[in-house]
Amino acid sequence: MTWLAIVLIVIGLFFLIVGSIGMLRLPDVFSRAHSLSLTDSLGAVFVLAGLAVYEGFSFNLLRILVVLVLVYFLNPVIAHATIRAAYRSGLRPTKRETK
Amino acid sequence: MRFFAAVALFVLWLVLSASYDLIHVATGAVVASLVVWLSPSGSSHVRRFSWMAALAYIPWLFGRVLKSGLHVSRLILDPALPIAPELVHHKTNLSRDGELVVLGNSITLTPGTITVEVAPGELIVHAIDAKSHQDLSRGVFDDRVSRMFSAKEDSQ
Repeated sequence: MTWLAIVLIVIGLFFLIVGSIGMLRLPDVFSRAHSLSLTDSLGAVFVLAGLAVYEGFSFNLLRILVVLVLVYFLNPVIAHATIRAAYRSGLRPTKRETK
Repeated sequence: MRFFAAVALFVLWLVLSASYDLIHVATGAVVASLVVWLSPSGSSHVRRFSWMAALAYIPWLFGRVLKSGLHVSRLILDPALPIAPELVHHKTNLSRDGELVVLGNSITLTPGTITVEVAPGELIVHAIDAKSHQDLSRGVFDDRVSRMFSAKEDSQ
C-alpha cells in the first residue's frame, strides 16, 4: 500500500514540477493558464490520491476525497474566472509561431 | 429543497472541520444557512439528468485529462517549446446554464484548452496548439455532455 502511495505521489510531483516549469517558460497569461490546469487537475489530484491510499480507511480518507471532488469542481471555475477577466480587460494571446 | 441544500453544506462543514466544540459547529450552521439564503433560488438549469451517464463521464473525462496532460507536459519540456496558441470559436448546441457549466469546466480542466468566454451557443476557447483542440472541435465533448443531460429533444 505504501508503495502504491509513493508511486502516485511521485507521479503527482512530476506534474507539479512540469507545471511550474511551464509557468516560467510559457509566454503569456493564456498559455500559462494551461500549465496551471496541469498542476491542478493532474498534480494535485495524484498527490491527494496517493495520500488517500496511504491513509487507508479512516475519517481523514473521507476528508481527502471531499477535497479531491472540490478540486475538480472549483479549480476550473477559478482558472476560467481569471482568464475571462484577462480577456475582458483587453489582453489578447500572443500569436507565437512554432520556431 | 433549500433546507436540504443547507443541511448538505452543514455536513460538508462538519466533515472538513476538525473541531466539534460549540463555537465551530454553530459557525458552520450559521454560514451554511447564510450561503443558501444568499444564493439564487428556483429555476432548474437543466432539462433532465442521467446519473448513469454522469458516472460514465467521470472516468472518461479523467482519461482525457491524463492524455492531454501528457501532451502538454511534452510541449513544456521540449527545448524548442513548440506551442502555437490560438483562440477557437467553438459552436455548440447546448444552451442551458447547467450544460454550459459542465462543458466549460470540462474544457478548462483538460490541459491544453481553457474556456475564455461563454455564451449560449458559443464558447471562446484558448488552445495551446492545434492537437489540443481537435477532439473538442470534432464535438466529442458536446456529445458526451448532451448524453448526460439526455438532450434528445434538443437535436431537431
